[in-house]
Amino acid sequence: MRMRFGVIVLFVAAALAGCSDSSTQGGFAGLAQQVGEVDERTFLQPQPGDRLVFPRDWGPHPQHRIEWWYLTANLETPDGKLLGLQWTQFRQALQPRPLDREPPDPETWPLEAAWMAHGAVSFEGEHWFTEKLARGDMGHAGATAEPFRVWLDDWRLQAVPGSDEWRLQVAGEDWRYDLRLANTGGIVAHGDEGFSAKSASGEGSMYFSLVDLKIEGTVTLGDKTLEVSGTGWFDREWSSQFLKAGQQGWDWFALHLETGDKLMAFQLREDDSAFLSGSWINPQRDVESVTGDELTLTPARWRETQDGRVPEEWRLKIPAQDVDLTIKAPPGDYWNSGLYPYWESPVSVTGSHEGVGYMELTGYGP
Amino acid sequence: MMLVRAFISHYRRHPLQLAALALMIVLATMLWTGVTVLTDQARTSLFQSEQAVATRVHVVRTDAQPVGVDDFAQLRMAGVCVAPWLEIQRPPPEGRVIGIDPLAMGCFGEAAPGGNAGELDGAPFLDISEAAKLADDGYDSRLYLLTANGSVVLPEGYALRDFSLGPSTGELADSFLLNLDALSLLVLLITGLLVRSVHRLGIAQRQQSFDLLYRFGVPRERVRQFLALELVVLTGICVLPGLWLGAQLAGMLGGGFGQALDSLFDVTVYAGSAESLPWQAAGVMVVLVLAVCLVDWLLPRRWQTAAVSARGRLLAVAVLLFGLVGVALAPGLGWVFVGTALVFAGTGWLTPGLLALLARWLSDRTDGKASDPLTRWRRRELAVMFSHLALPVVALQFAMATVLAVQALVTTFEQTFDEWLAQRLEAEFYVEVPRGADAGLAAEHLQSLAGIGAWHRVIRGEARMTVDKGESVPVDLFALTPVSDLVAGWTLLASIDQPWRGLEQGGVMLNEQLARRRQLDVGDNLTVTIADSVISADIVAIYADYGRPAGEILVAGGALPESFRARFESFSVNPGDLDMADIREQLADVWSVPEVTVRDNASIRALASQVFGQTFLLTRAISLLTLVLAAIALLIMGWVFFTTRVWYFRLLGIWGLPARAIQRQLRRLSVTLTLAVTMAALPLGIWLTWVLVSRINPLAFGWSLPMDLYPLFWIELGLVAAVTGLVVAHLMRRQLVQRAGEAQGET
Amino acid sequence: MSSAVLVARGLSKDFTSGGQRVPVLSGLSLCVRPGESLAVVGRSGSGKSTLLNLLCGLQAPKEGLITVAGESFRRPRKSSERSDDDARWAELRRRSIGVVFQEANLMPALSLVDNVRLRAHLAGHATGGERGWLERLGVGAEADRYPDQVSGGQAQRAALAMVFAMAPALILADEPTGSLDRHTADAVADCLFAMQGDSGCALVLATHDSELAARCDHLLDLSALDPAGTE
Repeated sequence: MRMRFGVIVLFVAAALAGCSDSSTQGGFAGLAQQVGEVDERTFLQPQPGDRLVFPRDWGPHPQHRIEWWYLTANLETPDGKLLGLQWTQFRQALQPRPLDREPPDPETWPLEAAWMAHGAVSFEGEHWFTEKLARGDMGHAGATAEPFRVWLDDWRLQAVPGSDEWRLQVAGEDWRYDLRLANTGGIVAHGDEGFSAKSASGEGSMYFSLVDLKIEGTVTLGDKTLEVSGTGWFDREWSSQFLKAGQQGWDWFALHLETGDKLMAFQLREDDSAFLSGSWINPQRDVESVTGDELTLTPARWRETQDGRVPEEWRLKIPAQDVDLTIKAPPGDYWNSGLYPYWESPVSVTGSHEGVGYMELTGYGP
Repeated sequence: MMLVRAFISHYRRHPLQLAALALMIVLATMLWTGVTVLTDQARTSLFQSEQAVATRVHVVRTDAQPVGVDDFAQLRMAGVCVAPWLEIQRPPPEGRVIGIDPLAMGCFGEAAPGGNAGELDGAPFLDISEAAKLADDGYDSRLYLLTANGSVVLPEGYALRDFSLGPSTGELADSFLLNLDALSLLVLLITGLLVRSVHRLGIAQRQQSFDLLYRFGVPRERVRQFLALELVVLTGICVLPGLWLGAQLAGMLGGGFGQALDSLFDVTVYAGSAESLPWQAAGVMVVLVLAVCLVDWLLPRRWQTAAVSARGRLLAVAVLLFGLVGVALAPGLGWVFVGTALVFAGTGWLTPGLLALLARWLSDRTDGKASDPLTRWRRRELAVMFSHLALPVVALQFAMATVLAVQALVTTFEQTFDEWLAQRLEAEFYVEVPRGADAGLAAEHLQSLAGIGAWHRVIRGEARMTVDKGESVPVDLFALTPVSDLVAGWTLLASIDQPWRGLEQGGVMLNEQLARRRQLDVGDNLTVTIADSVISADIVAIYADYGRPAGEILVAGGALPESFRARFESFSVNPGDLDMADIREQLADVWSVPEVTVRDNASIRALASQVFGQTFLLTRAISLLTLVLAAIALLIMGWVFFTTRVWYFRLLGIWGLPARAIQRQLRRLSVTLTLAVTMAALPLGIWLTWVLVSRINPLAFGWSLPMDLYPLFWIELGLVAAVTGLVVAHLMRRQLVQRAGEAQGET
Repeated sequence: MSSAVLVARGLSKDFTSGGQRVPVLSGLSLCVRPGESLAVVGRSGSGKSTLLNLLCGLQAPKEGLITVAGESFRRPRKSSERSDDDARWAELRRRSIGVVFQEANLMPALSLVDNVRLRAHLAGHATGGERGWLERLGVGAEADRYPDQVSGGQAQRAALAMVFAMAPALILADEPTGSLDRHTADAVADCLFAMQGDSGCALVLATHDSELAARCDHLLDLSALDPAGTE
């Protein structure tokens, strides 16, 4: 479960409702004006019982409103310094396209979908971030399942021909990375074999992850190029849901624990309550869904930043698993300051288990 | 206090004089403000357009083909930050719109072109998908790929070019602004003359009071200070409504002005209406009024008398001749304006004296005829009026000459354009080639139709023309195939024998704009790069191409290489014995499209005429307003002046001339006066017409017009003058009656 | 009386001043025969100019009868009568009544001789003798000069030349020497009386100048007839 669920969705919701929030209109420069009324029912909604299908689900889902390909990585330099990085590509449909319909002609500069890519590197308390946007169906942004390829301009994640590896190339203004990713595990389906509930009333998304990505490559920051290696976590998720009324934001965690266990947990914050959910993945990669009753997630300490106050330290408890973790962001400012700012930082884990991971916080700030 | 009372009491006794001066200042301010607001808007717009693309370049294909969507995607995927800019030309009132992709502009960061364009509401920006729909409807469209200036590394096959909104129109647009500036200076000059004349008249009437004050011991300096103060106060009060009216005027004319700019120079008026009153115009007016009214105190009296002396006249003739020669030989627009200013100065200097001379000569001619000493008196009186009303006479002369010339220019333009359009629109129907359709198939089909009339295929695209030192510039490419009878009627500005055969045999034709800009003539050899092939060809003709600034070359369709990609294609078809509806259906089949857009001759003509109707709206409006102002001024002046002569008309009555006969004399006098000014305006107006069509227009707009005269309009102008004269006479008659009544108040 | 050029009976004229009617002339009668001269004197405001205006039809009396050269005028009752009277008065002024004012008797746009020519032309006389008239009045040398190029005395002489050139039956002179110095005034007056004597026309002369008045055959003192009775 990723913040994008909110970010683009909020934007489109505002646009469709004719909301004139200047912050949403400013960035997309009136894109919203081009969007007519869309019949909600024409977007396909994930249902309990929906199943993942491969290789199809590596590619885009034009019948769904939103989806993303999302990588976070906890890496190390040869001298042992920690380096976190993120790459995400979002697809946001303005109108659904049935499977039997041809993609629109690029000559018409269609606006059925918009793509957005985020790339970030966090190293030694510093944070680099770049955002890219593109109109869909034009050719310069998109995704295909076979061969697996996700791209926007010159940023691309693609299967290396003749190998099981992927290659990810991303370049910001004064930073870049070029990584090779090898999946050493299987596919982890969250929730009900991929259907992940997002509210008590049963709305949800299709969600699976690769939690055993072995990553090697180079990261260039300014004129300094670093060899890096480490572990990555890759998410695929798609849905057609908006954030429900009353939901303010969420806190999401993907943790690699030294015991070989992996933990995904999130909470959707509401006015006076929260919807919590998660997956406990044991070294054998059996997935155990963790429900709200079994999980507590509490901010332990706050950090004042230029863009607002964020919880930098969390207590995460799953009593049934004897899990009691303190999750903490390293010093620094990890705002991804794009159209819709959010916090995305690597974290260290102490407590009942040691480990590393990534934390995404939305709905904070000014 | 005594001074203040003395000053106020004069105007209490002569409220009309005050009203006349106030009206002059208000009207002058209005006119000047209106013109400056519009000129400023144009300047701001040009500046903004340049700003919007100043640091921007665009990517072109090195094979000279137009860039397309695939080029955009390819460049983006190569990491080049390019954004599409799709221009659609539509007829008014919509005009030009520009399709942009806000998402693609993200990579420019803050410096996005059109980034502060505001809403995508079609004024002029809209989302590129909407613009693409318009392009699909058959409007001429053109895609540019903008990129940020700087170290852009381009893939093979692409190159950077400076991006300007209208290709190489920068100078033309500057010239246009210069034109407007010149017009507003002329307006300023005329209004200055008018204000001065009204003011001088008042001063003359008050001279006695001033002398009296001097005798009472008030220093002359002090009187002057008070006069200056009075003028400052009056101007200060009158400038405000003038400013407001001027802003309203600009608002009224603004729309047409925007269209004119748009269709002439591809410059959209972004600036819109002025948000605040143009105070600088107020400042100019205050300075102008003070300067023209108080200049007498600054200039040595010797100069003033010298101006009307024989030597002064000689100097005026010299100035006039110098101006005439200057305009004829001027290398650039600036010099043309300087020369024109000299001609105006010389003419204005000489006209009142010459007219007075003429009137005296005419009166002397009646010397031998004992028949009518009254006519002699009238002509003598006329001579006096020419001298005394010199300033308003000159102002009216200038205004009339300007109106006359502008009218001739506009009418010539309309007629020439109509003819030109008729030549261009020889075919009955025009068929748009749908996007992606193969025009070649349609050509083959039309070729195979028995009984079809003349037809040809029109292809538009881009080419590059090699200029000096191997440098090449982009030009619009226009190709015809086959070269049919439809073009046989074109009037060519210059050509070899049988130019159309020459075209078929590999020659090129140029539009006038390009020929002028590059100083090319028939017979010159040209190197043109079309797609991947380089063609060397002789110029076989130069054709008129009104209403747009871009340079264009015309080649036969056969000269286009295989690799050439057209930007726009259409067919001009005379169906002959066939039914156009059938041809339309057949073409739809050939192209496998449900519908083919066919326009008839009339609708295209209407669209085109609309565009050009706007072009000279502003010039015409300003010159007409100036005329109205000048006529009003003459009216006021004539009236006030006649008032000073009212005694002599009464004397005629005392000598037994019946009232009707006196009124007849009055009418003849004032109508002769205004008609004489019209006559004096004619040569100046005709000369100015020549300057506009043959000197200024080619420099400012890029094309020339034939020199035509419209005597019917002279007559219309004469009628306006006659009516002005009659109104003066009528007012005067009232004055005579009123005076007779006043006389009864004396003992 | 039948041979009189000018007869006035019971002339009255009021003015409105400050909303009140002020009588200027009341029941005035006079008679001037050919060759006679009548001086009209009186202090300022006593109605000298008004009387002269009445006598040449530039103003209409409130009451009374005026007969000039056989044409009689009463106060018109209807507007048609008025325009008829206006036309008759105009014709009289054109051919029979010469009017001379203190100054500005000449068209400034015309030379002296052209002024005389214009006046004679209006009176219906063939042109040709203008220079002779100017010479007789002593300004022959100035004939081609313009009014602003000659002295006030010369201008008045030219004005007299204009009047005599039209061969009037009656001359109305309103302070004809009023703006001239004594010497010039006497010279101009000499001319006036000499020419009047020669031509045999009647003369009505309004003046402040008692010496000038004394040269006339008759005297009419308007101050003595003050209708308001203030004296």
